Amino acid sequence: MSSFTRRALLSKLAVAAAPAVEDAGRHTLIVVFLRGGADTMNLVVPYADDSYYKARPTIAIKAPTGDADKSRAVRLDDRYAFHPALRPLHEKFSEGRLAIVQAVGTDNTTGSHFECQDQMEHGDSMAASAAGGGWLGRYLRTRANTKLGPLSAVALGTALPESLRGAPVASVMQSLEEIAIRTPSGKPDAAAAVLAAMYGADVTMLGTQGRETLDLFKRVSALQEGGYKPANDAKYPKDSFGNGMREIARLIKAHVGLEVACIDVGGWDTHFFQGTTDSFQAERARVLAEGLAAFDADLKDQRGSFTVMVTTEFGRRIYENASLGTDHGRGFALMTLSNRIQGGRILGKWPCVVENESPAGPGGMQIQHDYRSVFAEVLRGSLGLDAAAASAVFPKCEFGKVGLVA
Amino acid sequence: MSTDGTSTGTSTSTSRRSLFKAALAGTAAALTGCERSTAFFGQQMGQSIPTTLTPTQSAEIDPDFHLLSRAGYGPWPGELAEVKKTGRDAWLEEQLHPERIDDSAANLRAEWFESLYMDAGNAWEFRKEVLRDELTRHAVLRAVYSKRQLFEAMVEFWGDHLNIDLEKTDCIYLRPSDDRDVIRAHALGKFRDLILASAKSPAMLTYLDGRDNKVTKKSPVPNENYARELMELHTMGVNGGYTQKDIYEAARCLSGWTVDLKMRMADALNPFKAQRGTTYFKKEWHDNDTKDVLGHAIAAGGGEKDLERVVDIVCAHPSTAKYISQKLCRRFISHEPPQSAVDKVAAEFTRTSGDIKSTLRVLFQSEEFANARGQLLKRPFRFIVSSLRAMAADVESSYVGRRDDPAGQAAQAIQSKPPRIALVSYLHPLGQPLFRHPTPDGYPDEETPWLGTLLWRWNFAFALGGGFVPDVKTQGPPLRKALGIRKDSTDKDKAAVLFAHCIGRKPAEAELTALQSVEDEADLLALILASPAFQRC
Repeated sequence: MSSFTRRALLSKLAVAAAPAVEDAGRHTLIVVFLRGGADTMNLVVPYADDSYYKARPTIAIKAPTGDADKSRAVRLDDRYAFHPALRPLHEKFSEGRLAIVQAVGTDNTTGSHFECQDQMEHGDSMAASAAGGGWLGRYLRTRANTKLGPLSAVALGTALPESLRGAPVASVMQSLEEIAIRTPSGKPDAAAAVLAAMYGADVTMLGTQGRETLDLFKRVSALQEGGYKPANDAKYPKDSFGNGMREIARLIKAHVGLEVACIDVGGWDTHFFQGTTDSFQAERARVLAEGLAAFDADLKDQRGSFTVMVTTEFGRRIYENASLGTDHGRGFALMTLSNRIQGGRILGKWPCVVENESPAGPGGMQIQHDYRSVFAEVLRGSLGLDAAAASAVFPKCEFGKVGLVA
Repeated sequence: MSTDGTSTGTSTSTSRRSLFKAALAGTAAALTGCERSTAFFGQQMGQSIPTTLTPTQSAEIDPDFHLLSRAGYGPWPGELAEVKKTGRDAWLEEQLHPERIDDSAANLRAEWFESLYMDAGNAWEFRKEVLRDELTRHAVLRAVYSKRQLFEAMVEFWGDHLNIDLEKTDCIYLRPSDDRDVIRAHALGKFRDLILASAKSPAMLTYLDGRDNKVTKKSPVPNENYARELMELHTMGVNGGYTQKDIYEAARCLSGWTVDLKMRMADALNPFKAQRGTTYFKKEWHDNDTKDVLGHAIAAGGGEKDLERVVDIVCAHPSTAKYISQKLCRRFISHEPPQSAVDKVAAEFTRTSGDIKSTLRVLFQSEEFANARGQLLKRPFRFIVSSLRAMAADVESSYVGRRDDPAGQAAQAIQSKPPRIALVSYLHPLGQPLFRHPTPDGYPDEETPWLGTLLWRWNFAFALGGGFVPDVKTQGPPLRKALGIRKDSTDKDKAAVLFAHCIGRKPAEAELTALQSVEDEADLLALILASPAFQRC
């Protein structure tokens, strides 16, 4: 079947199919996980604090001067500045769309990447017994009475993150091209027509779902034709994060009912030669900032339709170690980019307040905000989570006021 | 060495391990060769396709087909004819006594999964990936190949009923022995024995925090988690008539039972004396005062006997018969079963003090069961297994290490043919990765949670129909030959006969019209597996 008849067939299917998942006003939460415990103190630099420079004689980021000097931090306010590699995000902050919360963390003091990631993704506290499944999985289950489609929750990558475990529906993919009908003979259109006829004749919920799934194929396949051209000359970096953010943008534009997307940026475990404005951390920061900036540019006309939350499992020590890196600490800075968040602000405690009591040793940033309070506010701002649902997502959590939403 | 999946013998497991280690001195090639012969012997033992197959001519789902679809995982080619010969009641009676059924072919395939034959303590020798992998593949292979189909269906049922999420703390190390010593040991036995075994299971004690249920001077309040789920989920049901006080009292009775998790040098040196992962009663953690559970007085000083008392009380409670029968009917009759069926089944459960065999006999012989043809949405596991059985697929057990490969999937994404993804990897996007349901209620017996994943069902059907699932060999040509499909058969005849083979009834006019347009036979088979009719049973 030629591509012309293929389109004709697909448009016929569109007429036959019921409207897919209700998409009007749909908002997508994108959770970016910085794996490895990011040193957020060098990402959101407390340049007004001498103790920061004392603790980090070699790896501290130089205070801003106001010009575009690439070796200096980029001023955010009187106290804080971005790592120069995060410059692409500066504008979002000035526009009041990017908020930062300092001193976020879990009550896990083991300093284990695995345990802290696990606890955070499950939305658990050390003190209480496990809630079961992932926090996003539980969120989606609170929504189970409303309709979820096959692409309501997507992880970009190769494995389902623990945060989505227990979700009624969750898909793992690297590219939208994976959403396709691929038959043994390579004749997808004929197969789609047969499925449309069979599911069209089924009057049950199963039939409805079949027709909606075919409609989904149709809309995704329209996006696949001729490759993807991002809007506003957005240039996604050619790395897995950039690619993943591009696919998320395509899914949002395709109106497939995407509510939650998860994506990772790895490589933040900087015990050794962390570097300042070059080397390992700077490279990771560049990947993060460029990917986010491209995504934000691509969706410039739909900025009300998404919220990005950037988290990590723990921050690092305030003091640099002998190999010019930083060891595992406690609190970290969480970033969120959204029209639905009160941005342009840095909330939470001054980071150089050190937690001396902790078994994690001296130098970890003292925690002010239980990460669950922050996640819950992000969910409230982005997807309108109400108080009852918040308790279902994070059982037994005593939520503190963070200030991301009014 | 036991080749019987239902037996529990753990004393031989260490010798098996030594044997296996010796065998590892051989080469990978030798293992591959061994695996090939498993498939070969499997075929010798009746897992081949008969020379002729006669699909039903009925417009309604054939009643024998219906029984095979529900009480098992759908007919293997030729099985329908066997039931027609012996009769449904005789087939059911045979299935209710799995020990009488020779299951050598399935046992032979299951021999591969050595972690499943270990004591819990030895499971720590395995990487988590291996344990997860073997448990899942074992469940798939048994469901596909075991002749004890009802037994396997009940293993799945109790696995959900007494759900343990592998991903919680140490559960992954303890779940394999739970599968063997609790679920498989009692799947068709006495309900009370099943619950008792589960109450003492290291996996359950870990999953529901029973192992931390201690009553001491320092912490006088028991951990109620297991006691609550024992009543709410395992026996009486949420409105079964117990109070918060009953939960508290039961938790006191159960206090002190815990799991030995210590790593000892002695265990490593002498695995025959391994203690790790075993349940024991720690009397200093037990609340030895008087208790009152559901109106039954429990005298002080009962010690470890208190546990059995609680299990006896809750299992004998009338709510338990109702609740278990309701669940059985929901699994095997319909998502909303008729009350008349539930009552009948519950009466038998009560009459026989929870004899699972007798209860199931009444269920499967009920009029309500017979009338519920085609009403259930297959859960993903049943969908996949019934597809494999319908096609007499040859599934290898040995593809250890070839895990989910979405990267490979992406690499092939732009091609028009289905990507190659390992069989069990399909369970994940379909929502039922097995043993990984995050809450103690088990994978649901409802339609809505499963309806969002049709996309992945179709992808599986296309991949299977085209022979794209790695390590799964479908038997298209002999199947078509047995069904009387010839080169010169009309497209309509091909569609009709393949449909009837897979679904158990003739296609309706609309279905036949849609399917007879499919020229490619692999596509045709895939589309039948992707059809709404095949999603149901």
